[in-house]
Amino acid sequence: MRARVVVTGLGVVSPIGIGISDFWKAALAGQSGISAISSFDPFPMDGYRSKVAGQVRDFSADRFIDSVHGERVDRYAQFGLVAVKEALADSGLQMAKENPHRVGVIVGAGMGGMLMGEREITQLYQQQKPHRVHPNFIPVITLNSASGIIAIAYGAKGPNLTISTACSSSAHALGQALHCIREGRADVVIVVGADASITPLVFAGFCSLRALSSKYNDYPEKASRPFDRLRDGFVMGEGAGALILESAAHAKKRKARVYAEIAGYAATSEAYHMVIPREDGLEVAYTMKLALADAGLTPTQVDYINAHATATPIGDAVEVKAIRQLFKSRADKITINATKSLIGHTLGAAGAIGGIASVLALYTGKIHPTANYDDPDPACALAGLSRSAQERRVKVALLNAFGFGSNNAAVVFKQATAEGRRSKG
Amino acid sequence: MATDPTISLKIRTALAEYLKRDPDRILVTQHLRDDLGLDSMAVIELLYRIEEAFDLQIPDQDLVGLATVGHVVSYVEKRLGKPAKSSKPKSKKKS
Repeated sequence: MRARVVVTGLGVVSPIGIGISDFWKAALAGQSGISAISSFDPFPMDGYRSKVAGQVRDFSADRFIDSVHGERVDRYAQFGLVAVKEALADSGLQMAKENPHRVGVIVGAGMGGMLMGEREITQLYQQQKPHRVHPNFIPVITLNSASGIIAIAYGAKGPNLTISTACSSSAHALGQALHCIREGRADVVIVVGADASITPLVFAGFCSLRALSSKYNDYPEKASRPFDRLRDGFVMGEGAGALILESAAHAKKRKARVYAEIAGYAATSEAYHMVIPREDGLEVAYTMKLALADAGLTPTQVDYINAHATATPIGDAVEVKAIRQLFKSRADKITINATKSLIGHTLGAAGAIGGIASVLALYTGKIHPTANYDDPDPACALAGLSRSAQERRVKVALLNAFGFGSNNAAVVFKQATAEGRRSKG
Repeated sequence: MATDPTISLKIRTALAEYLKRDPDRILVTQHLRDDLGLDSMAVIELLYRIEEAFDLQIPDQDLVGLATVGHVVSYVEKRLGKPAKSSKPKSKKKS
């Protein structure tokens, strides 16, 4: 029998709070973390079509983590370190008592160390002094800098991987960690999603792609509006989420409190277009079906979906079409929300933070609101969507995440057993 | 060997900033790795700062032998020339 895998620790850095307690309180209150970007010093914002983002305000890595590790990496990896510190403490896992080769780290990151990357590239082109490129440039921009520094910080010597599939990166990180533990290659995997690329070049790139909301620059809190008739693109966000995954046997042995079981995962490609989803939704529906089958469940058992829902006109409609195809009449009985309505699209962090919202829904029976769902778009109306927090016993939750490059992921979580929920390591 | 107090102070200050400690606690006799705990990457970062501070380029072959704070001070002095001799040694190096 394959090993069951459970979630025993959570940590988050988000535009609505650093730390699970603040994040969840703000999320249930429907608080928006979207604000105006004052400037990309020294760039004024005038030339940018979109001028709003979900920014993590007043973040200073040394307030949270050892500077020895924080100083050597870019902002996204600092977010990851902070989220992991909280998640490990939350899990009660003590690395000193673990076999370090049985503890892995899998990080999902879409863009990586773009702050330093952009600065160094700009200086090189302006000054034409190759010898002035910072010696830490390569280690910082290498996409596995976060998985590397997290392993170094905690002495985790098991599988150490970084998955980069744009906006679905950390949903795949969760799925790959599930497989890793199921197959017996690790007892524990620290799963992280992290991105911090609200930077002059990346932001301009998403503007040029016409992917970002631009109608709500004067009303930042209204800009991220998944499933709403007046949505006009996504709002960039930044942050990190961390989840401690371990085999159920390992968690039981150390009497850990279990938030939820992670039970299924599917990864597919639409093999269709680099940035546009297939309009028929067939591949999205197939991905959700595969993930449920991997969990040994059927569509009739799903209570809650944490939707990918970025608030692009086409993306949200395709996701709802896919949900209707797969769940048929049950689609309107499933509670659905969009975490991006609160924090924007955190790219590589989105799967992990959506995963945290899913796990907390299973654990607390509370589902955070979908902000700005003021005027339901008939093309993506579902009865389970709400501007208010909802309460419901959730036994099975489904997390969707789709990425540029025609990439789809779905992850299934199940309610933990009563015994696991009561324990506290 | 006598060292230029300005150059020495600048280098010790750069080191002190990097190591987050008082410049007075950085001595020219200290070994970069054994006494100050700099690993090879940290030495490279330090030299990067020194290149900027003195507007120098330090070729790879010159890294060998820069083991102590004093070695770095002497090296920079040599590259910049003695205080009274302006840039003469620098131009000699180029030739």
